[in-house]
Amino acid sequence: MKAFLHIVLLSALLLTSGCWDRTEINDLAFISGSAFDLTDDGEYLLSLQIAVPTSGLGGPGNGGGNQQGKFFVLSATGKDANEAFLKIQNKSSRRLFTSHRSVIFIGESLGKHGIGDLLDVFNHDPRQRLRTYIMMVKGGQGREVLETKYPFEQVPVEAIKEMEMLKSELAVTLRDFFIASSSDGISPVMGVIEAVDDLQGTKAKHSKKNLFQLSGLAILKELKVVGVLDNPETNGFMWMTDRMKSGRVDAYLPEGGGLVGMMVYHAERKIDLAVDGTDVKVKIKLRGQGSLIENNTPLDVSRPKNLELAQRALEASVEKQVRDALFKIQKKCKTDSLGLGQEIYRNRPKQWKSLKRQWDTVFPRVDVTVDAELSLNGAGMGGSPLYLNEKEIRK
Amino acid sequence: MNRFRKWMRNKPAHPDISADDHAEVIAHAKLAPDLEQNEAMFRKLFENNADIVFREVKAAGEARWLVFYFMTLVDEKTIDDHILKPLLAGHPRPEAGEAGDRQSIAADDGSPESAEALDDRMISLGMTKVRSEVSDIVRDVLSGHAAILTSADNHALTVKAASTKQRSLEEPSSEPVIRGPRDGFNENLSTNIGLLRGRLKTLRLKTESVTIGELSQTEVVMAYISGIASDSLVEEVRKRVTRIQIDGILDSGYVEEFIEDLPYSPFPQVHSTERPDVVAAELLEGKIAILVDNTPFVLVVPMTFWTGLQASEDYYIRWPIATFVRWIRFLFVFIAIFAPPLYVAVTTYHQEMIPTNLVLSIASSREAVPFPAMVEALLMEIIFEALREAGIRLPKQIGQAISIVGALVIGQAAVQAGIISAPVVIIVSITGIAAFTIPRYSFANGIRLLRFPMLFLAGMLGLYGIVLGFLGILLHLGSLRSFGVPYFNSLSPFKGMNLKDIVIRAPVWAQTRRPQTTASRDPVREPAGQEPGPTT
Repeated sequence: MKAFLHIVLLSALLLTSGCWDRTEINDLAFISGSAFDLTDDGEYLLSLQIAVPTSGLGGPGNGGGNQQGKFFVLSATGKDANEAFLKIQNKSSRRLFTSHRSVIFIGESLGKHGIGDLLDVFNHDPRQRLRTYIMMVKGGQGREVLETKYPFEQVPVEAIKEMEMLKSELAVTLRDFFIASSSDGISPVMGVIEAVDDLQGTKAKHSKKNLFQLSGLAILKELKVVGVLDNPETNGFMWMTDRMKSGRVDAYLPEGGGLVGMMVYHAERKIDLAVDGTDVKVKIKLRGQGSLIENNTPLDVSRPKNLELAQRALEASVEKQVRDALFKIQKKCKTDSLGLGQEIYRNRPKQWKSLKRQWDTVFPRVDVTVDAELSLNGAGMGGSPLYLNEKEIRK
Repeated sequence: MNRFRKWMRNKPAHPDISADDHAEVIAHAKLAPDLEQNEAMFRKLFENNADIVFREVKAAGEARWLVFYFMTLVDEKTIDDHILKPLLAGHPRPEAGEAGDRQSIAADDGSPESAEALDDRMISLGMTKVRSEVSDIVRDVLSGHAAILTSADNHALTVKAASTKQRSLEEPSSEPVIRGPRDGFNENLSTNIGLLRGRLKTLRLKTESVTIGELSQTEVVMAYISGIASDSLVEEVRKRVTRIQIDGILDSGYVEEFIEDLPYSPFPQVHSTERPDVVAAELLEGKIAILVDNTPFVLVVPMTFWTGLQASEDYYIRWPIATFVRWIRFLFVFIAIFAPPLYVAVTTYHQEMIPTNLVLSIASSREAVPFPAMVEALLMEIIFEALREAGIRLPKQIGQAISIVGALVIGQAAVQAGIISAPVVIIVSITGIAAFTIPRYSFANGIRLLRFPMLFLAGMLGLYGIVLGFLGILLHLGSLRSFGVPYFNSLSPFKGMNLKDIVIRAPVWAQTRRPQTTASRDPVREPAGQEPGPTT
């Protein structure tokens, strides 16, 4: 009897201490993406894109499920994220499961209004992933992106995640965002996405926006979006923040009357600081290595002379990109998204102490010089375009 | 647990298991001097037996010898040529006759031969014994001897004339190899010992015989190499084997269960094999083999966990490949135990651990399934085990049909009908294959059994349960012993030297030492420095 009692007690100990939250996988609603928007009356509109496991996938019978059934979007308004979430849960027959969410979209209007009230739920709730990407939807509502259909992936938002990973360093996850916004001397940024019409510019009657594209970077100040960089400027931003790992640079070559393109596969940034009170001078040195992959000029780039020409043009192009980005960030947005303050804090901690308070006013006045130095290691497979005949080629 | 043990031990009402009517009659009886009287006694003892033969050989009108034997046990041609013919002719055995030794018999033609004289002069067979105890004679006759009673004295001669009914040496079906010797033990004990002697031609190979089984009188032989096997281990095995009391031993499995250290463990602590090369190799490592008559399965003790994962072929193929194969086995042992529980735990508790695309495809295949994942996995595992079991029991001709039905019903129809989801079918079949990568059948059975408690733990507690179960298994393995040798030997307690044959399969020339635990008396297997290369 005693032994029996022992067994019962022991098993009670084992069984009551486990995680008794067994949920079958088909009782869950997998949220693939969320969008936050601001309604006209000042409430938050939360939209969730929920993946529908298509039973045809891989199974017998109806192979290649149709687009219609892959996902659907549920929305609700609330004073905060939690309230809206609860409302959506009431609309769903399955438990909402946030751990697989890959992207969070912020509508532009909300971004400009400020996202401070929304963020806390993402670091308090253990079911959230800090690896979720956070993006602003340019010129629209977050909900629109969620509703966009995309043919490649099972769930459209997955496509965005993949796109983010391709342009890897521009991708901003919640973790990056939190780190940037809680650190001194740097302001967070987030990716920008745009719902676009596939047939843009062709004037075909196709008003529905059915694709999305990544288009730059949003600059935030005090958790409010204060400016958006376009794609070339984003490139410059990446050069400056040493995030450029590989990329392409194009430049117009006046001597050749055409474009040259370079594939950068190794990039480096160096910052020289000169701090004197509130007088800060920053020298950004960019170094890049790569090879020429495109040459639309009649120049034979296998000649060192011509290669140098191309190189200089490319350097100028990079410098321009960087200056454009710098101008926007420094003069227009007046926000240190580059982390120059952090750079000072790390290298000149004593001077930073006095600068820290007034950094917001100092930053726009910082004197930044940019110096790009690219080296072309190869001219690609041919010197000059193959479609030109011998006489047209300038050596 | 104690109640369970009590129930298992359950002492019998009558501890005397030999309820033999004849037992008292022959207990200490000796032969009488009178042949008639002896004959009457033996006829009484062997009454109601259709296959006993009593043959009187008369000379000068009176019975001089009585030959009796079981015709089902002996080779009748041997009896005819080597016993009856010489007796009837009154001649000594042919070879001796040539030597002109016949006078001693022919001289006193009328006087009956004594048992010893028969042995010396007439019977040309090797295994003969002069007996006077009735019980000895009976036992000899029952094990294929012919007994010769004489009217001359109160001794009898028993002559071994057993017919050798045995299978030819076939490749063991439970342990096939691509490369390596293809002979296997058969059911004949002397053949089996012969197979070992053929491999180890040394005086140091000792074979001690014990007879076990009140009724079966089964011969059990302990084989070891003296000087390598430790005396204490030999003594321990001897003790454990001789204390067995049972009515009959029909397979070495009976002996195994009597000599285990921990009968309640799912892991076998005695290694059983059908391959003489495996036994010879283990004898060389200082282990002890127990051969049982009438079964091809030879037991080897002590066994360690690693023995269960080593195939004989590991030592016959080149070492890098053997090492790779071993790692595959290690991996698949884990899969065999943990794959279904992990699937269940992760899909019911930890969905966030699965990559998004995978979780969606699992979810979509589970859409129509009415059961919880654990029930589903359990169902499939049980069906798989049933198929496996049926595959063994079924006649070979039907086996094909069953495998087709099994594949169709489970692989396709069940998935199509939405009763079982496809991932579970995949997991269960991988697990099924995984268990068969384990070379030792009894070990694989233990592993297979562990899957079910693990499945329950995973289904109720998630990964926490799997960790609990894994810890439990580790604790058990760490404390288990086989004949005093830790089951997890060389890893725990750690012995770096022995890992050469566990973590990898070091080249033969590099394994210069025998395992320390079993062969500490004579640790050197071969001189070091034999790494091959071109001679300089």
